Parts: sequence; C-alpha cells; structure tokens
Amino acid sequence: MVFVLFGISVLVFLIFFATPGADPAARIAGRNASPETLEQVRASFGLDRPLPVQYALMMQRLFITGELTSFVNRGERVVPEVMEAAPVTLSLVFGGAVLWVAGSLVIGLTAAAFRNTVVDRGLMILSLIGVSMPVFWVGEMLNLVTQNRLHDTVLFSWVPALGYKPLLADPWDWFKTMLVPWVSLAILYIGLYGRVLRASLVEAEQEDYIRTARAKGLSEFHILTRHALRMSLIGFVTLFGLDFGVLVGGGALLTEVVFGLQGVGKLTFDALHTLDLPMIMATVMYSSVFVVLANTVVDLLYAVIDPRVRAR
Amino acid sequence: MALASSGRRFGLAAALLAGASLLAAAPGARAALDPAHKGGTLHLLTHAPEGTLDPQINYTLKNWQLYQFLYDGLVAFQKAGGSAGFKIVPDLAEAIPTPTDGGKTYVFKLRKGIYFSNGKEVTVDDVVHSFNRIFRVSGPTAGTFYADIVGAPECLKKPAGCTLPGVVGDAANDTVTFHLIAPDAEIMDVLAVPHASILPADTPDKDLGTTAAPGTGAYMIKSFDPAKEMVMVRNPHFKVWSEAAQPDGYPDEIDYSYGLTDEAQITAIENGQADWSFDPPPADRLAELGTKYASQVHLTPLTAMWYVPFNVNIEPFDNKDARQAVNYAIDRNAVLKIFGGPALGTPTCQILPPGFSGYEPYCPYTKNPGKKWSAPDMAKAKALMQSSGKIGAPVTIITEDTEVSRDIGTYLQSVLNQLGFKASVKPISQDIEFTYIQNTKNKVQMSVTQWYQDYPAPSDFLNVLFSCNSFHPGSDASVNIAGFCDHKIDADMQKALTTSITDQKAAASMWAAIDREVTDASPVAVLFTPKHVDFVSKRVGNFIFNAQYYWIMPQSWVK
Amino acid sequence: MSGAELLPAVAWDEPALPQEPARGYWASACRKLARDRTAMTALGVLALIVVACLLAPLYADRVSHTDPFASNLNGTITLGGQDVAVMQPSTAGLGLGVTPIGPTWRWGPYLLGADTQGRDVAARLLYGGRNSLLISSLATLICLVLAAATGTIAGFFGGAVDRVISWLLDVLWAFPVFLLAISLSIVLISHGITIGPIDISAGSLALPILIIGLIYVPYVARPVRGQVLALRRSEFVLASIGLGMPDTRILLRDVLPNVMTTLIVFAPLMLALDMVAEAALSFLSIGVQPPDASWGTIIQDGDTLLYTRPIVAAAPGIAIVITVLALNVLGDGVRDALDPRSKVRVR
Repeated sequence: MVFVLFGISVLVFLIFFATPGADPAARIAGRNASPETLEQVRASFGLDRPLPVQYALMMQRLFITGELTSFVNRGERVVPEVMEAAPVTLSLVFGGAVLWVAGSLVIGLTAAAFRNTVVDRGLMILSLIGVSMPVFWVGEMLNLVTQNRLHDTVLFSWVPALGYKPLLADPWDWFKTMLVPWVSLAILYIGLYGRVLRASLVEAEQEDYIRTARAKGLSEFHILTRHALRMSLIGFVTLFGLDFGVLVGGGALLTEVVFGLQGVGKLTFDALHTLDLPMIMATVMYSSVFVVLANTVVDLLYAVIDPRVRAR
Repeated sequence: MALASSGRRFGLAAALLAGASLLAAAPGARAALDPAHKGGTLHLLTHAPEGTLDPQINYTLKNWQLYQFLYDGLVAFQKAGGSAGFKIVPDLAEAIPTPTDGGKTYVFKLRKGIYFSNGKEVTVDDVVHSFNRIFRVSGPTAGTFYADIVGAPECLKKPAGCTLPGVVGDAANDTVTFHLIAPDAEIMDVLAVPHASILPADTPDKDLGTTAAPGTGAYMIKSFDPAKEMVMVRNPHFKVWSEAAQPDGYPDEIDYSYGLTDEAQITAIENGQADWSFDPPPADRLAELGTKYASQVHLTPLTAMWYVPFNVNIEPFDNKDARQAVNYAIDRNAVLKIFGGPALGTPTCQILPPGFSGYEPYCPYTKNPGKKWSAPDMAKAKALMQSSGKIGAPVTIITEDTEVSRDIGTYLQSVLNQLGFKASVKPISQDIEFTYIQNTKNKVQMSVTQWYQDYPAPSDFLNVLFSCNSFHPGSDASVNIAGFCDHKIDADMQKALTTSITDQKAAASMWAAIDREVTDASPVAVLFTPKHVDFVSKRVGNFIFNAQYYWIMPQSWVK
Repeated sequence: MSGAELLPAVAWDEPALPQEPARGYWASACRKLARDRTAMTALGVLALIVVACLLAPLYADRVSHTDPFASNLNGTITLGGQDVAVMQPSTAGLGLGVTPIGPTWRWGPYLLGADTQGRDVAARLLYGGRNSLLISSLATLICLVLAAATGTIAGFFGGAVDRVISWLLDVLWAFPVFLLAISLSIVLISHGITIGPIDISAGSLALPILIIGLIYVPYVARPVRGQVLALRRSEFVLASIGLGMPDTRILLRDVLPNVMTTLIVFAPLMLALDMVAEAALSFLSIGVQPPDASWGTIIQDGDTLLYTRPIVAAAPGIAIVITVLALNVLGDGVRDALDPRSKVRVR
C-alpha cells in the first residue's frame, strides 16, 4: 500500500509542476499583483524551494501534522475538508451500491433463467442503455424531470432541494435527498453488472457440477441461485471491488457535482479545475487508499467464494 | 453571460491618474427602512468562494459585493441605484476634505461612536494601521492604487513591519492626515474601494485566508466554510451614521451557499429554494427566464466589454492588416447570439464603453463605418488578408472552458478559417485562463476574455490595458495582454491624465481621441458591451443595482 | 480444445457427435455463426452504421447542404415555403436567449436540428461516428489485449509475478487520470509531445486511444485474473499439467479460450464506456478538436442545450446504444459459435 501511495503522490507532484500555468503564486496574490508581491507570495508558500524539498514538506504536512493548506482558499486545511466530505460520498456510494447490486442480481438471474427469450433480450437492451448513457447527462436529465418539469406534480414534489442533508440531523430528509442520486449512480452499474452476471451464469450452467445437480433433480431456480451464482461471483466481486474502491475514494465526481453533494468527488473536481495542488494531493491519496484496500479485500474474498482458489 | 465565476477583471489606477468619478456631492435623501419588511434570511448561491476573506487582498467582484456592507473605508461609494452609485460620500470620515499643499495633503476627521463587530470603537490608530497593512500584506494594489502615499516605494521594497510616513494619525483631534508624493485625482476612488477598508489595529499582518476580520459594516461574517457556505448576520454593534454610506439592511441573515451547478441554481431560484445566484444563467434557461419569470429578471447595462486580445508581438498578429482583417470579419451579432441574444448586449468596436466620460461613438470595423456597428465587411477583411501575407498562418485561440467562452472561440475559429488562417481553439479552466493569457511565455496569439471597470475612469480602460507600463513580459500579471506599446499614445495618455486634474472637459475629448487611436491600431477586437442578468426569487423585493458593486443585497427584502 | 473432450461424451440432450478435427474448429465456428440469424442481423446493423459514417461527406453535400464544421449563426433555411432562422432569438417576454432550430424530421437540412453554432446535427453525427468508432474500437482492442495478457499471466503463474502485476494494476487504477489529462491539455496547447521518433500533437487521435485503452486495463484484467486463478485449479488444467504439457501450450489451448468468452462479454461494455470517456477527453481538447466531432463531443455540446433542445445530446447517445447493442448481440453469437459445448440452436 505504501508503495502505491508513494508512487502516485510523486506522479501527481511531477505532473502538477510540469504543467504550464499551474504556478499558483499569481492566482493567490490577486489580480495584477506587482512583481514584488508575487515574490513575497512565492516565498511564503515555499514555492521557491527545490521540488524534492517541497514534496517532502507537503507529505509531512499532509500525513504527519495534518496542517496542509489549500493554494486556492488560503488558510483552509485540506485534511479536515476531506474528512468532512467523506460521509457525503459514503452515503452516496453505499446507497448506490445497494441499489446496483440488488438490481443487477435481479437482472442477471432473470436474464439467465429466461435465456434467449424476449425477457432476456429486453433486459439486455435496458442494461446496455444504462451503460451507454454518460453520467452527467443522466444526472441532469433526472434533475430536469424531478426538480424542474415535474417538480410540482405528485410524482416528484417530495424531492427536496439539491444539496446534502446530514443523516443524523434528519434521516428522512437525508433519504429523500439521496434517492435520486442513488438511482443516477446505479443506472450505469446495474447494466454493466447485470450483463457480466448473466454471462457468468450462462457459462456456469455449462459446467459439469451443474449437470450433476440437474441430474440430482434440483430445480432450475435452486441451481441458479445456489450453485451457478456462487461460481459467477468471482467476476462480479472483482468488478465490485474495483468500482466500489474508486467510488468511495471520490470517483463519482460528476454525480456529486450535478446533485450538489459536497463529497470527496466534488472536492476533487474543484481542485482539478483550480489546480489546487494540496487538495488534489489529499483527495488522490484518500482515493488510492480505498482502491488498494478494496482490491486486497477482494483477493481475500476469492478464497471464500471459490474453494478451488483456496488450495494454494 | 459576462461574469465568469473567477471574478471580474479590475482596472488599475496607475500613479498620476485623473478620475472622472470624483463627485463630492452630498448624499441623496434615502427612505428609512420599512419595518414591515425587516427580517428573514436571504439565500444566495454561487459555484464556489473566490479567494481570501481578507478585504485588503481579495480583488474579485464576488467579495467586493459583500465587503460593501461588511466593511467601511474613510469614504465610500454611495449605496444608491444606477450611476448615483458612482458618487463618493464620506463614510468613516466626517466629510471629504479639500486638499491643501498643492493637492498633496488631505486631512480626514474621523467620526466618533462607530464600533467594530467585536465591540471596540474605531480609533485613529486603526486607520493608520490599516493603511500600513495594505503594504505589509503585499496587497495586489499596493504598488498601483496606493503608490502615491509618501513612503510607499520604500514599503513596497520592504513590506515587513513597514510604516508609511505619509499616513499620520492625531488621536487628540481624531484626524488622519494623508501626505501624497504628487497630486492624485483618483485618490478618493482608491480610498473608497475595499482594499482601503479600516480594520482593527490588532489584525495580523498576514493574509487572513478563511478567518474574517471584524468590520464596521451593517453585517458581519459569522462563519465561513469554503466547501459549504458563508453565513453573515447583523453586526450587533452597528448603528447607522450615514444612510448614504452604510445603511441598515432588511434581512437578519444572509447565507451564501456553494456547490450547485448553473442549471441547479436556476432551478433552485425558480422553486423558491434560493433567492439569487452570482453566476450567469446558462444559455438554455434564458428563454424560460425571459418569458415565464420575466418579472423576476433584472437587466442592467454594464460598463464592461468582451474582447479578443491579439498578441501584437508574435506571428501572425504582429501584422496590423491581419488584426484589422479579423476585426472587420467578426459578426458581432452572431457573437451576441452565442451570448444569449441581442437583448443581452450591444455590439461595439471601440474601447471605451457608453456612459464613460470621453465616450464618443466610433466604429470603423463594419460596413459603412461611422458611429455604430451594423454588419461585418468580409470583402474588406479578405482584401486586408491578401495584403498582410498571413494567409495559411496557424492560430490558436485560447478561451475559458465556460459555455459562452468556448462557443465564441469556436465561432471565431470558423471566421479565421474563412479568412485563410489555420485556426484551432483551446479552452482552459476559467480559474487559470486569465493568468495564462497574460504570460508571454505561453505565446498566446489570441484569446477571448472580458474587462470590467473598477470605477468609471477612461484611464481604467485605456491606460490600464494599453500602456507600456502595464506590459510585463514573462509574468502572470501583465494585464496589457495584447502587449501593445506605442510611446506616442502613452504620451497622449499621460497628458490626458494630468489635464483631468484641472479640466475635466478637455480631458474627456483627449480620451476620446485616444480611444479612436487605439481602436484604429486594433491591438484587440472588441466584441460587445454586456448587460448583467440578475434573476431573483419571487419573494425578493426592492432590487437596487449599484453601478459600482452591482446588486446591493441587504437593501432588498425577503418578507 | 476445451476440457469437455477429456470427459466421457455423455450428452444429455444431444446425440454424441463425431469429434471434429482441430483445424476445422475455426471454420466450423464461422459456419455456425453464419447460421445464427440474430448475430448476422447485428453484423448487418454494424456494417450499416459504419457505411453511413463513411458516407458522411455525401450526406453533408447532398442532403444537408451545409458545412458541418463551419459556424452558421446567421443562416436561414426554407421550411414550408417560409424562411426560418437557424438560430432563433426569443421574441416573447424580455427577448432573452437564442434557441437553435429543432429537428425538422425531414430528409434535408437540419433533420435533427442545429447545435449551438448552428451546425447540422445529423451531418455531424455521421462524421462523429467515424471518430468515435475509430477511437473506441482501437482503445477497446488495446484494453482487451493487454488485460488478457496481464490477467492471464498474473493468474496462472501466481507468486511474485502476480504480486508485481497486481501492484501495477493497482497503481494504474488509482491513478488520477483527470489530472494527467488536464495537465496534458495545457502542455499540448503550444506544442506536441515527442517520444523518440514519434511526434504526438494535440489533435492526434493516438492520444485518446492510448489513454482510454490503458486506464481501463485493470477493469478487465482483474476479472480475467480471478477467472484464471480458478481455472488453474480446474480438472482439465491440472490434467494437462499432469500430462507434462508445457505452460505456453496450456495457456493457449486451455486457458485462453475460456478467457476469450469473458473478453467477448466485456467488449461491448468497454466500447460503451470508451465512447463516453472519449467525450471527457475531448472536452479537455485531447483527441478530437473543434470543429471536428465525435459522438462524445456532440453529447457535450448537447449538455448545454438540455433544457431547450434535448435531441442534440440524445441523438449521439442513441447512436452509441445501437452500436453497443449490435456488438453485444454479435458477441453473443460469436461466443456461441466458438464454444464447442454450445448446443446447436434450432429456430
């Protein structure tokens, strides 16, 4: 894990300083600042020190003292900002994940059970539509419908204003606020996971132990859920680890932006837009931790899911 | 829409400036606050905050609009609608003094009984400290607005702990005396802007960042989280001492929330979930706003411009014919369509905007040149291209990544290709674009940007944008983006500046002549002067738009 | 050959067919595919899309009579005998806003309406298809090939090889691609990048192809690796090892065919994701430059017209869906054709 974090942090640092126009001194100093002012600002931010020194200082301020401050919002400490934004992202991703796992299980199982029938084809079309729609477009369309065009109808008048409401303050309001973003996030993944699951299930059906089960007289449903599903989970779980890890780390940037949720993704988005290196570094490190963690957990889960892997 | 969320482009007041805005008129009579409407919370929206809370450093309209009711200077722009807002009235000072000593000494008498939001009374010491602090924190205008104060050059070189001998406080008589190096007709303007806000003497000499300093305004900042919102409440120690300079406000609280997209902001205001947004409405909502919500939309012409600087020092626009060809070829009506339609702006060719002293309508870059722009002259443009010999030259147009800026860039690409250039468009993040296009190291040939006035002085447009002094090669702060440097025009501008100290009318016609000269040289192609769109929710009443700081928020009620 | 051949040919629903010789495997797969009517229809649809996109200049010239790459803000067309402006300023109320002409639904100019520059959306859709299909299919190909290679090697050999490859995949997956893209876009404004003899400029399509191809490698490689880990322990592979077959042979004959089916499942999904990712890169001026179009850039343009002209964003989205759908159906057919265990479908 440490190697991954080190590698990525160095890459981020180098990319930032290789970018022309990224020098924050002029933007911090204020418009039309005099050359003397620019020098003052540069010195006070340590931007005139050699790169390795700046890197070491930044890492120290980020991980050890937690004092790292933003280039854009001067004086704002980035670590507390990320920590405050984390629950928002977690709310979004957990809820969305529940929806998409449940949804894709239903779709995958149904499609496999009714293989090659109209039901299967129909679900395939729906799944692929979900995968092909850009996230930003889905979010904006949902907003267009729920907040604007149909907001006054009984269908959507319950949708609250955009922006996060903390869970503990008002759970019902929190739920109502998050429902549409959850759907928006899940649409892409339901389609993808549904297709992958269906394919694995159909594959698994060909396996011999399934034939054995069928020979034993077990029902198709039982076979699907108890035996075939278990073997199909490897692909499913792997993908889930990859996606969930990235999302928890702030990968759902555009969903958070469109729905006004101040999560880690939104912080990342703003930081990239303003080339705010400290915030970029903080969010990228935060994200990397979860990516590596998720993949490690998935590797451990392999042994649980597929006994064949266990025998190493 | 004009206002990119990264702020406005403010003009510089260089040293010997003559302003047209010094009007020491008595404050107009104002209606007292109607108690029926007092109270409630005003909900404001914007994408993100802009920069530090420190009023002596922040140089963006977004914050200057707030500072007008959070802080006070010795003098202030009158809180009135329209161009009455350009009048400078005494604020913390009792009266605007007449200068003595050949225009180099001003003695301000400080009012008594005014308190900061922390309960301490304003003293002469606070005033002196505040002006020293402008230099100690290396504020962006220290070397430009306030360079005329005795001791300024030394303070610029060594800011730490410096003291200006030119600002002297007399506690016994409650006076503050300013000594200037030379007469400065714009001294009142620079004392009225937020960089000259009076802060408590114990305010630290470094950028305050996310911590708010106590102020004397009608409101104070209660909390500020750059990722969430800024909350402002009434200043508990505030009592009205001048209706014109710092009136009381209607709402009890003002919330400025961050994080929603353009579309979401408009939807929120339509649904009554918020009251106003700083950011311009997206183009695809304008029709809706102009029809269904017309009564909630306020359109105000601005003294500002959208324009296209050419880099006059590198290929291909070091050739004047090539620049003029583009100027003739641009269809300003088409550009306005991209901006939101002819109702939102006026096509223009010249530098000075209407409403400025020195403005005389002039447009050479059109069919039938004369006073107004009517249509592009493609034939003339193509002829100029031939004589320039720049056909086939590659050009990169830099724009912001906002909707309007990108689209204008794409349209200009089409025009340039028609003329025979090989044009490409590159949008950059709007937070970076303005500094990027200023730095000559980036070799920007052509860009799309805007310019807004600081205060209505022709020098604010002409001198700031086109004098040799404003061109700093290799720096991110070189607001003469075109890199234009003509010593004869520079000399003319200096003459106009000195003339305006004594004879406003003569100066005005001199500025008009300079306007024509610079327009003819075509270092930039001016596109249009925009109108500002303010979309407020149904419950907002008494909308007052001040020409200097735009909507005066606390003067509107929500109940 | 798959492991099924090592087992007694106990077929429950089909008669024991004679074993087909190895070199007839691909030939018989092609024949099976040709008989699959649904797959052939899908192939036809794909061919139709490709041909339509290739014929884009013809469409722009003969049907839409406009230059899809030049701004046309002041243009007019004749509709029902009347002159209609392409960009229509609002005249009601305060007269704010300008709306591009909506779809005429007539075979001629502005079939699908105009975009924010007054350009013909339908013509741009066809031109855009070229770029989108090219970029996405090459990126998907690169992604699948690399993912198959890394995933298979990691899963099969295990140990240190697995650890190193997994670490690389982790770094790749956690890498902040957006930051690299933004930085690249600014770097590329003034000059291209030179890597040895290769000079890549901002408009080069090689950039988005490589970037998109690479960033999704972990997404396919890890599932492949998981599958190979399980396969490694399956009976037929263990049998092959026991028989003393060299690793490469096992990989090619036993492991890869099974991995192929996974890749075929992923191919249309990755194509869809790649087309959308291409839009994000074009927004940052990497790859397709204005005024050129791709389905992704048209969606981006359409995002600013959602409230007035939603068709501009919807049309390329539908194009993507149809392409992906066709590829998916074709992929199903290919998978069935390649799988010797699949039943012969009688329709």
